[in-house]
Amino acid sequence: MGIPYDGPVPGEGAVGKHDVQQGTLALMILRTIEVLGPLHGYGIARRIEETSRHQLTLNYGTLYPALLKLEQEGAIKAEWGQSENNRRAKFYGLTAAGRRRLAREAQEWQRTTDLMAVFLAPWEEAR
Amino acid sequence: MRRIRALLARIAGLRASRRAEREMAEELEAHLEMVVAENLRRGLSPAEARRQALLASGGLTQAAEAVRAQRGLPWVQNVGADLRYAVRALRHGPAFTAVVVLTLALGIGANTAIFSVVRAVLLKPLPNHDGDRLMYLRQSADGPARASLEFSVPEIHDLREGAPSLAGIAELSPWFATLQTNDGARRLDLGLVTGNYFDVMGLTPILGRLTGPEDDGLGAPPVAVLTRDAWVQYFGADSSLVGHQIRLDGRPVTVIGVVESAPLYPVRADAFLNMVFSAHHVSATMIQGRTHRMTEVVARLAPGAGLAEARAQVATVYARMLTAHPDAYDPAAHYRISVVPFQEALGERARLTLWLLMGAAAFALVITIASVANLTLMRGIRREHELVVRVALGAGTGRLRRLLLAENLLLALAGGAAGVLLAMAGLPLLTALAARYSPRAGEIRLDRVVLGFAFAVSAAVAVLHSFLTSLPTEGTVGSVSSGGRRVGVRLPARRLQRVLVVLQVAVSVMLLAGAGLLTRTLVRLADVDTGLSTEEILSIPLPLLDPTKLSPATDLANKSLYHTLQRELRTLPGVVDVGLGSTMPLRNSAIDFDLKAEGRPPAPGAAIPQADLRTASPEFFHAAGIPLLAGRVFGDGDGPGAERVVVVNRTLADQLFPGEDPLGHRIAFTGDVLRFTPFSGDWRTIVGVVGDTRDGGPDAPRRLVVFAPFDQEFAWLGGFVIRSEADAGRLVAPATKIVRRLAPTVPLENVLTVAEVKDQSVAPQRLNARLVSWFALLAALIAAVGIAGVLAFSVSVRTGEIGIRMTLGADRARVRRMILREGGGLLAIGLGLGTIGALAAGRIIRGLLFGVTPTDPVTLGGVALVMTAIGIAACWVPAARAARIDPAITLRS
Repeated sequence: MGIPYDGPVPGEGAVGKHDVQQGTLALMILRTIEVLGPLHGYGIARRIEETSRHQLTLNYGTLYPALLKLEQEGAIKAEWGQSENNRRAKFYGLTAAGRRRLAREAQEWQRTTDLMAVFLAPWEEAR
Repeated sequence: MRRIRALLARIAGLRASRRAEREMAEELEAHLEMVVAENLRRGLSPAEARRQALLASGGLTQAAEAVRAQRGLPWVQNVGADLRYAVRALRHGPAFTAVVVLTLALGIGANTAIFSVVRAVLLKPLPNHDGDRLMYLRQSADGPARASLEFSVPEIHDLREGAPSLAGIAELSPWFATLQTNDGARRLDLGLVTGNYFDVMGLTPILGRLTGPEDDGLGAPPVAVLTRDAWVQYFGADSSLVGHQIRLDGRPVTVIGVVESAPLYPVRADAFLNMVFSAHHVSATMIQGRTHRMTEVVARLAPGAGLAEARAQVATVYARMLTAHPDAYDPAAHYRISVVPFQEALGERARLTLWLLMGAAAFALVITIASVANLTLMRGIRREHELVVRVALGAGTGRLRRLLLAENLLLALAGGAAGVLLAMAGLPLLTALAARYSPRAGEIRLDRVVLGFAFAVSAAVAVLHSFLTSLPTEGTVGSVSSGGRRVGVRLPARRLQRVLVVLQVAVSVMLLAGAGLLTRTLVRLADVDTGLSTEEILSIPLPLLDPTKLSPATDLANKSLYHTLQRELRTLPGVVDVGLGSTMPLRNSAIDFDLKAEGRPPAPGAAIPQADLRTASPEFFHAAGIPLLAGRVFGDGDGPGAERVVVVNRTLADQLFPGEDPLGHRIAFTGDVLRFTPFSGDWRTIVGVVGDTRDGGPDAPRRLVVFAPFDQEFAWLGGFVIRSEADAGRLVAPATKIVRRLAPTVPLENVLTVAEVKDQSVAPQRLNARLVSWFALLAALIAAVGIAGVLAFSVSVRTGEIGIRMTLGADRARVRRMILREGGGLLAIGLGLGTIGALAAGRIIRGLLFGVTPTDPVTLGGVALVMTAIGIAACWVPAARAARIDPAITLRS
């Protein structure tokens, strides 16, 4: 029974070794743009994959809705420009609001991870 | 802030521009090209580079769909599409749509209509200010005429002193007067009230002012507050009336205001006057007579006081009253008092009937829902293929559920809207019904709450039905590839169908049983022997007494006019006899007294008997068709000044003189009340015994009646009984003409034949029986359609199987039997459950029955027979269709 089809199922988020945790993708995108300056979707995806040492793979269905959402929320701004190989591409840059949001969320995230690290650390170290 | 901004952006995105689409496509394509370029750099062939890039993308179409979903509000966009699709799907199946809408319209309409009555009569808060703090006080005692005794002024005085938790205690004494108008006279029902009445009732004027403390007392001029209805109906809503005088019983009374519309209880009134209007109400007898009970009492809970507290205080005061005045409260009659919230008192008479109807309507709704559920299930099974295809094409389960919901919402709302129209059509009938039970019938409206109720029921029906159709899950996707018709139907769906059919049959049986019991009640009531030997009798009550002119001279004048009229009426063609008396046949008496028999003191502890006092002329008994059982009726010798004689009814004779001949014995009225009346407590000799008549309705208890000669008593009431050769109704016009000519200022009302009086007395029961019968008939019909539908469906999915059976040698009769057995089983279970339900529910409606027990075997047997007949008829059609199946055709297709 069943139609043989083992491709990605739409709407299931990133496919790869690790799923992108809910809420972390926006932070990754913002940080990537902050470091590298205005960047197109391909560049952002490449950079996130490389930074994660290829533990994360972003498909378009995950990346572009996330970019659109950030744009709608006013954290980033899109502009058409020329890519390295002279293609027309859409470049995403941080807005002032985006910069503030990144700073705030990065700090929160840091606090959370520090806290979780203490909790999850081996017993001797925690002492 | 961020959320709002994003939401606004998405709302803007609803109008997805072509540019946005183009840019998205370009952006995705650019991304892909960059990956391809990267792959090429890594040395892959162009074809392979592109293939790898596409694989890694996760699907460009899906990505585009995900971006679109983020761009706008997909839910909103889908609703429009869902609705459009639903309309198309419903138009595609007009028969299904029509049946469902009609069925729901009947169910929802019935419930909406009955609910509007329940709400207005029982549930809606009173229009009175703080209506929930308004109380009605009731004094009662054992005995047919003493369920509500009213209060005397000394009693009310005691209550005022002893119950501080009742902030205001107001008096309302029912009275009446004749209003003189330019074109004749009209009897007005009055309430004589204390100045605080409107304050206690929490009512405000719509014109002028209401009574106040300044209107109490002997010195105050008589004033009137009109009810809104009377003001509109009798005075043409003339706003200049306030401050002017009207003439009541010939006396000028100043109209001071018009009060807002509000339910009046326990008596209706056209106008409220201060006590000073009636000389009697301010007389010493009224003020000082403890047993002179002719005042109703309403009260308002004091701020901070509770009902329990008020009840306790009133009970304490009352107990003290009983001890202090043993002569006024016959211990054997168990005098008692109760404090009833006004709203509850208003609904007392209507409650049982209305809940019965609401229950019947709710049952009818259950049946309609079950029936529509069955239709939906069948349609769902037929549509399974379509739904599977939609899932395969990418529709999520949630999306499909929404689609079904949209369809069902459309259906249910259409049904609900049609139902509201039906309810509107039925409202006048229901208002007429409710008016017999409740003074709040005028408030029945399809208001916001009732419409909200109809909407809520419709929406609930829609949601319920949307979850009935099971959606294809992953496992069923495979059936798309098979492409063919599915042979079997999932078992749970079929089982649910059967359960629903059984439910329909059971509920129908219960409704039919209720209808049967109420109809038999009606028949029994109509069959009750009235005690009159003929129904060709016209009664003309004619109150000549003017309460402001109580004197022997006016009494004589009135009697003389009565006799003149009697003689004139006798001359009409077709008249057999004309009787003159105080009380018309089958009507209740206005006056009753305690009674004693000479030489027979009542047994200690036994209640003192009460007897109605009526007057009658010698011709009265023959004219009214009341049979003489023993002795004689009155004769010309029983005039004023002659020995006091009486004729008694059989109930009195049996109760006071059991096993004896009552003739020649002497009886007398007694009790404290007698001294407030013009009637004597002298001994009266029984000269005749007449048959009992069913006064006050066929189910009213029998009462003791004493007839005194019309000419020997004060003529406080009077009227004519005209016995006709045939068709008494024919006499209405000529008789009315005579009365109008000789007594032009006397209001003439209730000129009715005995048949009409009798008919009126069973009107409430007839309406009950008729309404419940309609519900039951509706339910049985819907149940029949339900059985037929389920069996027909069963036959259609089993066509192949039946074909195989027939090929293997089953003949048509056998196939028919097989289907009939399937339906018969459902029918039998439904009948069994329904009968059990009817037995249980019968106990609840016992109070509405007369002459039948709730477990009446004739009714229940008849219901079972009717339901079986309907059921078998419903099974026959699909069974016959199954028998017509041609195996050759079936197997080949």
